[in-house]
Amino acid sequence: MTTPVLSIRNYTLDYLTAGGPVRVLQDIALDIAPGEVLGLVGESGSGKSSLAWAIMRHLPKNAREVSGDIRLGDTDLRALPGRDLTRVRGRRIGMVFQDPSTSLNPTLPVGRQITETLVITRGLSQAEAWTEALALLGHVELRNPEALMKRYPHEISGGEKQRILIATAFGCRPELIVFDEPTTALDVITGARILELFTRLRAETGVAALYISHDLALVSRVADRVAVMKHGKLVEEAPADRIFRAPQHPETQILVDAVPRPERRLVHDQPGERVLLAAQDISVRYARRRLFRPAPPPATQAVGFNVRAGEILGVVGESGSGKSSIARALTGLADFSGSIRFDGRPIAAGRAMDRQYRRAVQIVFQHPDSSLNPRQKVGEILARPLRLFGGNVSDVGRLLEQVRLPASFADRWPHQLSGGQKQRVAIARAFAAKPSLVICDEITAPLDVSVQASIIELLLTLRAETGTAYLFITHDLNLIRQIAHRIAVMRGGELVDLLPIDAIDAEHVHPYTRDLIAASPTPVG
Amino acid sequence: MTDLLRRLVRTPQGAIGLLLLLVLAAVCLFGPWLAPQDPEKIDFLGRFRPAGAENWFGADQLGRDVLSRLLVGARSTIPMALAATLLGTVIGSVVGTASAYLGGRWDEAIMRTIDAVMAVPGLLLALLLVSTLGNGATNAMVAIAVAFAPGMARVTRSVALNVRNQDYVKAAIVRGERGSWIVFREMLPNVMAPVVIETTIRVSFAVMLFATLSFLGLGAQPPASEWGLMVADARQYVHQAPWILIAPSIAIAVTAIAFNLLGDGLRDAMNPRNER
Amino acid sequence: MSLSWILRRLLLIVYTVFVVSVLVFGITQVLPADAAVTLLGENATADALAAIRDRLGLGDPIWMQYLRWVGHAVTGDFGLSMRTGQPVGPEMVAALGRSLLLAFAAIALMLVVAVPLGVVAAVRQGKLADTLTSLVSYLGVAFPEFVTATLFAMLLADTLQWLPATGYVSPFEDPWGAVRHLALPVLTASVILVAHVSRMVRSETLDVLHSDYVRAARLKGLPERTVLTRHALRNALLPVVTIVALDVGYLLGGIIVIEEIFAIPGIGRQLMVAITARDLPSIQAGALIMSATYAVANTLADVAYAFLDKRIRYD
Repeated sequence: MTTPVLSIRNYTLDYLTAGGPVRVLQDIALDIAPGEVLGLVGESGSGKSSLAWAIMRHLPKNAREVSGDIRLGDTDLRALPGRDLTRVRGRRIGMVFQDPSTSLNPTLPVGRQITETLVITRGLSQAEAWTEALALLGHVELRNPEALMKRYPHEISGGEKQRILIATAFGCRPELIVFDEPTTALDVITGARILELFTRLRAETGVAALYISHDLALVSRVADRVAVMKHGKLVEEAPADRIFRAPQHPETQILVDAVPRPERRLVHDQPGERVLLAAQDISVRYARRRLFRPAPPPATQAVGFNVRAGEILGVVGESGSGKSSIARALTGLADFSGSIRFDGRPIAAGRAMDRQYRRAVQIVFQHPDSSLNPRQKVGEILARPLRLFGGNVSDVGRLLEQVRLPASFADRWPHQLSGGQKQRVAIARAFAAKPSLVICDEITAPLDVSVQASIIELLLTLRAETGTAYLFITHDLNLIRQIAHRIAVMRGGELVDLLPIDAIDAEHVHPYTRDLIAASPTPVG
Repeated sequence: MTDLLRRLVRTPQGAIGLLLLLVLAAVCLFGPWLAPQDPEKIDFLGRFRPAGAENWFGADQLGRDVLSRLLVGARSTIPMALAATLLGTVIGSVVGTASAYLGGRWDEAIMRTIDAVMAVPGLLLALLLVSTLGNGATNAMVAIAVAFAPGMARVTRSVALNVRNQDYVKAAIVRGERGSWIVFREMLPNVMAPVVIETTIRVSFAVMLFATLSFLGLGAQPPASEWGLMVADARQYVHQAPWILIAPSIAIAVTAIAFNLLGDGLRDAMNPRNER
Repeated sequence: MSLSWILRRLLLIVYTVFVVSVLVFGITQVLPADAAVTLLGENATADALAAIRDRLGLGDPIWMQYLRWVGHAVTGDFGLSMRTGQPVGPEMVAALGRSLLLAFAAIALMLVVAVPLGVVAAVRQGKLADTLTSLVSYLGVAFPEFVTATLFAMLLADTLQWLPATGYVSPFEDPWGAVRHLALPVLTASVILVAHVSRMVRSETLDVLHSDYVRAARLKGLPERTVLTRHALRNALLPVVTIVALDVGYLLGGIIVIEEIFAIPGIGRQLMVAITARDLPSIQAGALIMSATYAVANTLADVAYAFLDKRIRYD
């Protein structure tokens, strides 16, 4: 057998905290063979990022390496003195980060940021580095590299930035490249293109790679082997196609089950015929014209749709597509032109919305951290809608149990809860009003897949109990295909498609919808 | 509240600041009783007497005990600065919160005007006001309050705007809560913490500004033993007795440092993430 | 940086000066001083007083008096000093020149001291250098100018006799003398600035050092020195432009005290003299010129920042 490019043995790592040392990595052992892609999957806090920092020798100050070896080829990285590190980083191990918009220095033209790296790592002259950079940018399908090199990071798109960073990493011709969630910060379609690029460059160069992600479906498509981490331990390591078909470890099983699969429907009933909410020609415009400054274009343009009683209507689109503006208009947070009818009754816009409508239509926001007032206890937060909408304040305990939280949580402060628990409280707050429609605005986006799956399960149970309709806003097409009755696709403020779920694969769908489906990775096997 | 105090004492800045302020508060309350001598007692034999058993911090040009004057003078310095800051904070918070709540064109107009008012340096604004209102401690206090108000309005507004954009405030708006509920129950408790911190730090500036006005002859008037006034009086006797100048200088600095430390300590202690 | 952005900034200066002029005029109008009495003395006859009130237009409604004052002020005519009888405008502008010399020197000294102090404290976070810097900044902001000025004068002028205690010498007539006379005021003015700015530089530098792009620069194999000079410091020091501009306001206030103590005939001392003498035209002119200077300094800083920092899009 050939020498592995990267070899980690019995690696254990602690972080020193005020409460004593905390173990973040326990007895990690893994190898990456030349030309191999190892996918590393785990939820937040599993230790996958710490492992990347350990390999890059960039651990935080409070890290204590307890034991183990990290070898790059024949080099013992742990024994390497600080001044020799610069000769390994970039030259022998490259890295591509999660967020391309923060990984480039905002005040330097991108060209200089590529050439300075090539000059240092490959010993090229400035002129050679410039020519090489042009070639590299052309090779990652960036148009007009000459002009691009002179631009500043804020003048180019996120996808272009990530291409530049990937081009730079490959251009240094390292033995190994660490990819840390390189598509997570990007839109679905852009991310898919980046992934194609990764696959092509990898095949051409044969560089070994460690691909870190929280997305098991995605990793199983790009990696040769997949390693699953949980609580600082490697729980399973297997060829990519076997991880999905035959997960061995229970933790892997949980992760595999939590991955949304469009073909596995979670909702089997049909909504009623009664139209609950009818929205017509909704357009939202935020800023007005100011002195010497033209007004920006509207966030949405004349969007219209119905929601039927008990229906789950999915709204998908990328960031800036106007899908959240719809939620803001329907809840009176943004003024709009157009009309809303609820139960056949016309509804006024903005602050003039009446109490009956406000009770019947509730919203759950995306960020669990900001949706609960940090200076109110859970009990107070839940009591308020009960008092306002004619409920019984003693129902707080029952509400908490309804969202599978202990009634004793009423005495807790929001910061004492985890992200998933906070989101449950926010859901309980919405259901306190006994609504007939709940708007869910990207509520699962910041959560781990297993938490996400349990939140979805909770929403479906609540719907079964109360018959509530959902307007479910998300960018995750696979998730929404599991639960929605109909799907609305938005782009650039326009509604491009409104389809029943079984028509989503049909011939006549909008090309953009087709692109979105193609860009959403489904698990192999 | 006791919880906050416990966390405050746990930060080094908070502990030292609180300790210093307790001492200063005791001096403000009981200064005349703590003073070893009558601060007004003139003793010509004891003029410029250096620090020693008779006068711990020495005696001034009239033979008055410097320590006694400092202890009594605390009353005419610190409460004034405190009152000026509180008044400025109240005016500023009301304007700032109103501006953030009104939003749109009103907010823009109010903030541009406040920016413009802030183009007048604080000390200059205070000087102009005192010269209009007339010299004296109360007028100086009012002048400082007015000079502080625009800055506090800015701080309050930016905090309030930030809080207004939080989802829990949006949730309250969506529920159809009244404006007063949103402002007082959802926003204010979250706006309070940064404003209290800012206010605490500004007390130290108020102490310095008040002493400066007195030093220039526009604030507290003789024979008060206000600290800035003591420094002004002492300047011409620097050659004979530097201690009459150094003692009140240090008193001003210690007070300013105490409030600065407390402010920094509060910043750490009030962070809700640390409330465990 | 677009044309409309620059237009908006210019309009903002105009609005600022307008608000300040209303404020200054309003406050000074309430001054318990009768301009006619101040001019002619307590013993003037009622007829003479009435005549001069008529001539000065003191009987007109207040908004008319304001418009007249502003109308003259925009042409540089601030009226005659009630104290000296000389035109106020030229006197104040000459005084402003001397004050700006002091202010620029103080800012230069502050930058030379505060920037390295803040950077070293950030790079050696938690070490001795950092602790010392934060001690210096705690002490520095706690001493008002009149205390620092008095203490410095006591030490460097009276005790050690190194520097002259008071006075002003024009740099065109006696450069070395000017430096010696400006040393104490500049030193005094820079203390609070150093304390404040070093603290800000430290926190800006720490932010940048912990930023993703500095981490990325390290991990792509750049030597630490290149990371620090090319990537970190440049970006950390950009906001200092804005911080310094904001401190100019504080500095201008402090200059009133400093000029008073060191007997420098700058705009601050002129203002103090005018306030003591209740010399209305001088107070109005001094306050307006000082505030306008600050407003212009802030705008210049904004423009400089926009020019240096490519990130910010002004539209």
